[in-house]
Amino acid sequence: MTDKLTIAMPKGALYDAAATRLREAGIDVPADPGRRLAVTTADGKTELLLLRPSDVPAYVEFGAADCGIVGKDVLWETDRSVSELADLGFGYCKLVVAARRIDRYHEGAPFPTFLRVATKFQRSAEAYFAERDLPVELIPLHGSVELSPLVGLADAIVDLVATGKTLREHDMVIVDTIAESTARFVVNPVRFRAKYAAIVALLHRLNATSAKT
Amino acid sequence: MRLPAGVRDWLPHELARKRDIELVIRAVFGRWAYEEVQTPTFERFDVLEKGLGHELTEQAYRFADRRATALALRPEMTTPIARLVSTRMREVPLPLRLSYVTPVFRYYDQPQEGRLRELTQAGVELIGSHGIDADAEALFMAIETLDEIGLRDAQFDINDASVVDGILDGVGLSAEAAIGAKTWMKERNIVALRTLEKPTLVEFAMTRGGRDAIELARSVCRTPVSIQALDRLSCLLERAGALGYSERIHIDFALLRDLEYYTGFIFEGYVPDIGFALCGGGRYDSLLPRFGFDVPAVGWTAGVERLLIALERRGKHVVRRRQRIDVLVSGSDVVAARERAAGNVVRFASGEVEESALLEDARAHHIPRVVIATNGTVREVFVAPEAETRLPTQTIAGKWEAK
Repeated sequence: MTDKLTIAMPKGALYDAAATRLREAGIDVPADPGRRLAVTTADGKTELLLLRPSDVPAYVEFGAADCGIVGKDVLWETDRSVSELADLGFGYCKLVVAARRIDRYHEGAPFPTFLRVATKFQRSAEAYFAERDLPVELIPLHGSVELSPLVGLADAIVDLVATGKTLREHDMVIVDTIAESTARFVVNPVRFRAKYAAIVALLHRLNATSAKT
Repeated sequence: MRLPAGVRDWLPHELARKRDIELVIRAVFGRWAYEEVQTPTFERFDVLEKGLGHELTEQAYRFADRRATALALRPEMTTPIARLVSTRMREVPLPLRLSYVTPVFRYYDQPQEGRLRELTQAGVELIGSHGIDADAEALFMAIETLDEIGLRDAQFDINDASVVDGILDGVGLSAEAAIGAKTWMKERNIVALRTLEKPTLVEFAMTRGGRDAIELARSVCRTPVSIQALDRLSCLLERAGALGYSERIHIDFALLRDLEYYTGFIFEGYVPDIGFALCGGGRYDSLLPRFGFDVPAVGWTAGVERLLIALERRGKHVVRRRQRIDVLVSGSDVVAARERAAGNVVRFASGEVEESALLEDARAHHIPRVVIATNGTVREVFVAPEAETRLPTQTIAGKWEAK
């Protein structure tokens, strides 16, 4: 079996940091892949798949990619069987429940029953409220979630926050932090064994670069 | 006219390929002296629940009959066989060697290729035998089965649930922490394991090897049970070596299948180019006691559809031609019966058909001979075959090519 590795890369916010880390680990990742969906590195040893972040876990679970880089938040939402081998540390954000200050919400405020919650993170939101036995009405949205409380669509939102700037701009406060997320190096459980040497070598190089920074 | 998600039809040429695999598997099971059994497609849910772990219980299709008895479609075969053996076969001398090739039903949230909601499992149970000979038999049989269907590069990873317990104990985890740690080992979630601040545990979760891995574990394991398990793994490696399997078997301490099920030896087989396991199994000594029959057991199962995917991705399966028809008979039941009695495959032309139409039909379906009975006379016409393009015939085992 060849030890050529196929790595699933997230396009978008995580791409630059992921590309830098892989480059430091000795993989020749293009700075700007343009519109290409798959790139083979110059040495022919690695194939990179450039995917929507939320698609990375599926590619890895099915073995279409041997391994990949993806945010922990995406792993929560997709619930795919992949092995998390390393926390790469970058791409920090947290999943929070937020609501309008004007509605007298503040950090740690209790939620009323039958809250209406808008979110892009349905699975995580469901789990959070189920754990607290809070019946809520979830409204799945695909973008601009912050808008929904302002126009009366929802009482609260469950969303990712990096700096908190967007929330402040909309006069919203974090009521509770559900979890914190960073980028993870994930691997297909069978490929971990089938390409053990190559994957462990890459993992060591990735860990070595994280120790440096 | 749609099918529900997660089930499929099998067209003649597709089913032919599946049956070929099943045939090869049954032959291997037979050569190891296993006898096939069948249990009902559905059973009482409370009975199945005794044997199924949490995950399979969740995945079982459940329903009630008209008397509101809770029933379930079997999601696997080991529990039904445990029930069968502990009720109907108690008096049979042990060890018992039983096999099955049969559909099982699982409600997967996200059905997909290789994870259908109706899938075919082929497997064996060796009941009433503890000790390494039975473990070795299960493993070597699985290797032989994958070899026979043409997956000669299949790799097998082995482990023992007691070794994992020994490692968790050896690094000083409390029993409570060990439960969570085991799940993380199973998922190989290194990020989560690191939070326990036991670097040795991370090292074990990342180890895959041979004797070196066993020696590493010996430096940590203290419990007699885990040390005995390491001796058994070591012995298995040695016996595998004698069969020429050394390069194909590795120790993987993070290989844990259903945690509530397996009590000792565990293995899984896979090929490098397919991202999911093809077969797996192990020892489950605590299962039959749950049915009131205190005997040990070891077994394994393979997903027939997954094997098929593995073969088809490699273009390595029997490309069967359409069913061969020897003769087209028109006008006489007696003639047709005689032809069938002679062992021929007979197609009977229905209705009154012109001779020219019969010959055309025969030519179109590559039938070499036509027998036409009219008014007591019987005529036989040989049809010259058209130049036909034959698909290359590859056999699934490859070994048949030589014959």
